[in-house]
Amino acid sequence: MITTLIGRELLNNLMTFRFAAAVFITLLLVVANTVVLIEDYEQRLESYNASVKTHHQEIREKQTYSAGEVEVDRPPNPLSIFNVGLDKRLGNEVWISHNYVPTLWEARMNASDNPYLNILSSIDIVFIFEVVLSLMALLFAYDALAGEREHGTLRLVLTHPIRRGHILLAKYISAMLCLLVPLLLSLLFAMILLTATTSISLGADDFLRIGGVVLTSIAYLSVFYLIGLLISAVTQRTGTALMLAMFVWGALVLVYPNLILAAIRSSDIPQAKAVSAFNQIKQVWDEFDRERKQYLATDDFPGEDPTFNIDGIGFFYEYFPKDPLTLLYFYYSMMTFGELDEKFEREVPHAQNYFQFLIPSTIKAAERAWLIRKQALEDTLVRKSNMKRTLLKLSPVGMYDTATQAWAGTDLKGVRDFFDAVRQYRQTLIDYLDSKNAFASRKWFAADEGAVDWSTLPAFSFKKSGVETNAKRALPDLLLLLMLSVSLFMLISLVFIKSEV
Amino acid sequence: MWHIAKRELYDNLNSLRFALATVLLLALMLTNAVVHLREHPVRMQKYRDAATESLNTLTSRTDLYDLAQKGPEKLYKKPSLLHFCADGGDSLLPAFTHAASHFRGGELKSFWRMTYPSATPNLKNIDPDATKIDWAFVIGYVLSLIALLFTFDAISGEREHGTLRLMLANPIPRHTVLIGKFLGAFISVNIPFVIAVLMNLLVISTSSAVHLDASEWGRLGIIIGIAMLYLSLFLVLGLLVSARVRQSAVSLVVLLLIWVSFVVFMPNTLASIASRFSPARSYDAFQEDRRQTRRAILEVYYPQLDETDDPSKRMVISGEYVTEDATQDGRVREAFLSERISQVSQARTITRISPVAIAQHLLEVFAGTGLARHLQFVENVQLYAREYHEFIADTERSDPESPHIIGVRDGMSKKKVSPESIPIFEDTLSLSKDFNAAAMDLLLLTLFVIVLLAGAYLAFVRVEV
Repeated sequence: MITTLIGRELLNNLMTFRFAAAVFITLLLVVANTVVLIEDYEQRLESYNASVKTHHQEIREKQTYSAGEVEVDRPPNPLSIFNVGLDKRLGNEVWISHNYVPTLWEARMNASDNPYLNILSSIDIVFIFEVVLSLMALLFAYDALAGEREHGTLRLVLTHPIRRGHILLAKYISAMLCLLVPLLLSLLFAMILLTATTSISLGADDFLRIGGVVLTSIAYLSVFYLIGLLISAVTQRTGTALMLAMFVWGALVLVYPNLILAAIRSSDIPQAKAVSAFNQIKQVWDEFDRERKQYLATDDFPGEDPTFNIDGIGFFYEYFPKDPLTLLYFYYSMMTFGELDEKFEREVPHAQNYFQFLIPSTIKAAERAWLIRKQALEDTLVRKSNMKRTLLKLSPVGMYDTATQAWAGTDLKGVRDFFDAVRQYRQTLIDYLDSKNAFASRKWFAADEGAVDWSTLPAFSFKKSGVETNAKRALPDLLLLLMLSVSLFMLISLVFIKSEV
Repeated sequence: MWHIAKRELYDNLNSLRFALATVLLLALMLTNAVVHLREHPVRMQKYRDAATESLNTLTSRTDLYDLAQKGPEKLYKKPSLLHFCADGGDSLLPAFTHAASHFRGGELKSFWRMTYPSATPNLKNIDPDATKIDWAFVIGYVLSLIALLFTFDAISGEREHGTLRLMLANPIPRHTVLIGKFLGAFISVNIPFVIAVLMNLLVISTSSAVHLDASEWGRLGIIIGIAMLYLSLFLVLGLLVSARVRQSAVSLVVLLLIWVSFVVFMPNTLASIASRFSPARSYDAFQEDRRQTRRAILEVYYPQLDETDDPSKRMVISGEYVTEDATQDGRVREAFLSERISQVSQARTITRISPVAIAQHLLEVFAGTGLARHLQFVENVQLYAREYHEFIADTERSDPESPHIIGVRDGMSKKKVSPESIPIFEDTLSLSKDFNAAAMDLLLLTLFVIVLLAGAYLAFVRVEV
């Protein structure tokens, strides 16, 4: 019996104008935008490759260890085509030094694009589904019950020995099948375009991630269809149902996400917690600075000059870079000379001893400051932005967006994975320098006896986290969507069973 | 006609959609006002601090050579008081230009030229993306959707219920019915909209942090007028489709599809595609061009310098070199800027197929934000730069003891320059210029309405009841 019902509903839906329109418009939008998005990705990839090459050369031209600061680039994520998330917006070039522990807040942007183009907004595939398919789901649902009631066919159907729950289920299944057509068809075209692009090579993991996006999309569609069905069940007339459905759509998709983010204050003033953490970090470095000055005062070399009067072609500088908003504070110094005059030969051992003391203690202070900063950043900046994300989830759009970002790896956690790798790489670099005994070496600051050989420098590599990590991050929101579906379905059943025909 | 409009109005006033539209618009407009009151003083303070600092540095200089060599410092774009009407992506556009002089070793210092730094994106922001809630959003997206929801069944609904036949049985011409329907819908959408706008302005104008003067109120009036024109466009579109299509449900589906493609997607997608057609040079290519230009000038003047030992001749050549270097480098920079801007302008021109993009442009122009405003700022800067050059030349000429060689310290007047005589940059907005920038868009929007109105009339006249 239920199959007959499904068949009837399916036929009803497939023959409608709205179905044809849904397929056409989704297909058109997805294909047009995928072409644009792929081109944009290729451009970013090109600029990434160029930047990697430049940085690779730059470090090899550095003559001393002190000047040899490595820069690392964040590759663009090919799945950003589905949901761009933070992939394009956060910095993609970070500078590694033993002086501080880098985070995403220190990353800079390296882009070859015309910056004025930023005023034109771009859209991704998930956004298209978010807007068009949710609208379609509501349009499929609004008259499902109210319409049948108006036409009297509902009464007719119920004269047969059918349970009301089965009617609902049949309607749900058939509508979802119809909605899947535009979703899958447009994704198919997008995938064809993606795989035809030589610069994008998707692995098995990536296909699983895309599968996750599809699954989430289906759950999202189901939520919107059920919202429409609920409206249809509680209203007596299709006109009212339609009006209500459209306003609910406008409120959930168009208004709420933007409204809630605008309403939350985002101030430039650091919170009290951040201020105290910043002061603690400053204390760490102040203590370090005291020790450093004490060393300079008590060493064999008279005076407290950290350059030991050495001068030549090159430079020396030291300062304390700071940014209270992101709790950044550290001691930065660099001393590098291409050639040294013979007359400074006497001072060289002093400088060597000094750097042998200075660099390890800088690293130690940086570690200590990082412990404080890591926690404080979590407590202030990250927590605040996560609160906004949580508030967004009051609309299914927020859940859908978060889950698909997690699948694509363009969410905050995905981007932070890269910076975890960067921090690990920094440790590798420090170990490498240590193994070369670089801190105590003359080559730390002077290249007069030959430049540093960088050929054995460990290379940076970033492997995206496995698909199970993505799944772990996406599952909470996917489950929320599914649970929302189930509870909506139960609610509709309750309403529908009690309703008079 | 008025009778029909009145009937339509009464029908709508009691409807669910009227209540929902009022709630939605009020919520949006109040949020907009509150956010503006929170952010605007901060923005103004930042601008004032920066502009004052730059001005103080400038007026603290009394040496003419210093003034001529270092130039007018940073020039800041004045934030608009009507920022709440249209954000215009102002945070993505540069907020200042910088008169920069490169240091050259020795006695010879290069002269200033105007540089146009690009806006630095806020890379520290890890929050989720959101569209700014400004009037442009409320009008462009929400109001247009509401307009369609008010008109999709205006004709098809009556036909379904059979009341259209009843109405046309009376001796009323069809165009009167159409206009009556339009007026009724126009007034009933305008009631919640105007209420929301009034509440918004009430909140904003009662605060002491924001002062709107007569010219701003005039601009607001124009903006509301544009909003109503834009609203009419969608009302007429609704009537047109409603007259063509037999069932209200189908009419709404058609309208929503048109809305989604023209309002939500068309501007973004078209702009992305169009911006690929005429790409600006890359930054590296521009730097290379600069290097070559400057080297070419160097190669002309340095041999001349080497040839002569006469100090006065050397001074003349040096002066010419420094002036030429600054002029040519400035020219290359300007060319690059206009290349970049024309890429964006072109992309935006193509989006004019979509009425929401037209409305967005118009609102930006009259709110004094966005790209049009930025272009006016750049124009103001270039005018001021000319004025500044003239001021240097005039001051120089007025000193009879000076050898009049601009570009070298010894060649220029040693007289103290009074701070009052230095020209001050004023970033003014002129309404007539804004009208020039908006004329095209205004015309297009009006044309859209007229064409659709004619279409709706034709469709309705031919309709079978």
